[in-house]
Amino acid sequence: MQGSSRRTGTMTDVHRRFLQLLMTHGVLEEWEVKRLQKHCYKVHDCNAPVEKLEDFIHNINSVLESLYIEIKKGVTEDDGRPIYALVNLATTAISKMASDFAENELDLFRKALELIIDSETGFASSTNILNVVDQLKGKKMRKKEAEQVLQKFVQNKWLIEKEGEFTLHTRAILEMEQHIRETYPDAVKICNICHGLLIQGQSCETCGIRMHLPCVAKYFQSNSEPRCPNCNDYWPHEIPEVFDPEKERGAGLSKPSRKSLRPRQH
Amino acid sequence: MPRGQKSKLRAREKRRQAREESWDPLDAQATVSEEEEESSSSPSLDVKDDPQSSPASGTPSGPQVLGEVHSTTASAEAASSTRFTEGASDQLEETLNALHANDIAEYWYRGPLDEKVVMLVHYLLYKYQKKEPITKVDMLRNVIQVYKHNFHEIFKRASEHLELVFGLDMKEMDPNRNTYVLINKLELSCDSREHRGVPKTGVLMTILGVIFMKGNCATEEDVWKVLNMMGLHDGRNHFIFGDPKKLITEDLVKDDYLVYRQVPDRDPPCYEFLWGPRAYSETTKMKVLEFVAKVNHTSPSAFSPYYEEALRDEKERAQARSTARAQIAAVASARSKAMANSLSLPK
Repeated sequence: MQGSSRRTGTMTDVHRRFLQLLMTHGVLEEWEVKRLQKHCYKVHDCNAPVEKLEDFIHNINSVLESLYIEIKKGVTEDDGRPIYALVNLATTAISKMASDFAENELDLFRKALELIIDSETGFASSTNILNVVDQLKGKKMRKKEAEQVLQKFVQNKWLIEKEGEFTLHTRAILEMEQHIRETYPDAVKICNICHGLLIQGQSCETCGIRMHLPCVAKYFQSNSEPRCPNCNDYWPHEIPEVFDPEKERGAGLSKPSRKSLRPRQH
Repeated sequence: MPRGQKSKLRAREKRRQAREESWDPLDAQATVSEEEEESSSSPSLDVKDDPQSSPASGTPSGPQVLGEVHSTTASAEAASSTRFTEGASDQLEETLNALHANDIAEYWYRGPLDEKVVMLVHYLLYKYQKKEPITKVDMLRNVIQVYKHNFHEIFKRASEHLELVFGLDMKEMDPNRNTYVLINKLELSCDSREHRGVPKTGVLMTILGVIFMKGNCATEEDVWKVLNMMGLHDGRNHFIFGDPKKLITEDLVKDDYLVYRQVPDRDPPCYEFLWGPRAYSETTKMKVLEFVAKVNHTSPSAFSPYYEEALRDEKERAQARSTARAQIAAVASARSKAMANSLSLPK
């Protein structure tokens, strides 16, 4: 293709393999992505120097652009871990899932999504979601079945479950942000710092502005008297720590069981 | 029967109206992409004249695109935060303004095909991940739809993208039923550089090799011996392949690449592997032998008597192909004779 080949680096088997594997996983944390990249070099071109991840991904994205696919980088809303997902840009959001789920399942997701967006905490309780089960389009679904469908969403990384409540997986946010902002323009919350879609976060009790937890962490880093950037009132919530990948690795190979701060501080 | 110009224009108008009522990001974005593609490809031609000029010529337009300009600007702005650099979005604005003045209808015909190519690529990737074969009927119904006369071009372009970008090869699995399957080109062709003397890729090819060279049937123990050398162990999760036992006894079996069965009258029970039907259709004994030879830095002819067996297999396949072709030709000529007869019958 004329346009893209002018701007891009060449696509080699290293990149292709990387794409294939990323596609299989759907979403990966940054450390996994780096390991994946090294693996692809080892397998296909072990003599070449491993390109810086940012440039590597940028090169692939310039080729993917005309296919309406992108490797998007995001950050988990609860503890600021960088993650990467292969995202389909062209389809209207729900339809990306459409191939995997039946009509009533998709509608359940839509209902759950609406409850999550409307909630104060970014979490919708299992009870509230199950209560709308009789309003679903398509084949009639029983509550028991709906519980299983919700688990399917969790397994496929569209939702996250915490203590019986559901919120959006970072992958879903990356994939659906634009659709969500367009479909629910009045209900969506936006982070005051990064201006991205906000599902979980902290809010100022005086003026109501909201911020993502990792955005709070960065903004108030080493600030002993955190104040709201909008109204200057004292910021009443606990300031989380900035995510440090080095600390993670030092803690051992297993994923740290750090208790992520519950963003119930609205 | 191909539609005339008038009915195409009418259909275009209808679609434009429908689009304005229910704005679909896919349509709007795809139009943006056409403009972007055109505007980014022309500079390579005009670069001597003025690298900064936004190419007003050669951009797709026509009554339909004019109707969409309003919505594409909105989507262009939304997209600009994620996709476009500043320079590109300025260029796009200029291009969009130029569209009002231009009326080169012929370029429009490429537009919706580009859209369909992208949709087909997404659809095929989805099928690949699901490990489901792809039929022409499915593609026509779910993706191609009204552009069924352009199926071949859309399919070809989509296949090219998949090969170049993802390293996936489109192979015809069953020519009689128009069924296709996407094969990971990388798995079979990659140079297995040895690391500590052991290749890490081509798990399936390796297993097929073991089975072939154990007389077309290998015990589970034989297979594990080889997989262990590759770093795959029963009970140990591999960060790429996951659970190797599940991979070889369930996943590859479900996909018809392997057959896994219990050896009769054995206590304690033990199992053996054979080639599955899909392995027979997607590769050959010779190809597998070539893979094994490559890994061992030698050539297939070093593996007597398997080399002879692979040669025989190649011959049989070639014969089967020419017989099939002869049969198809015979049927075709019989049919055309019958048609000729029926046409010449007096009314």
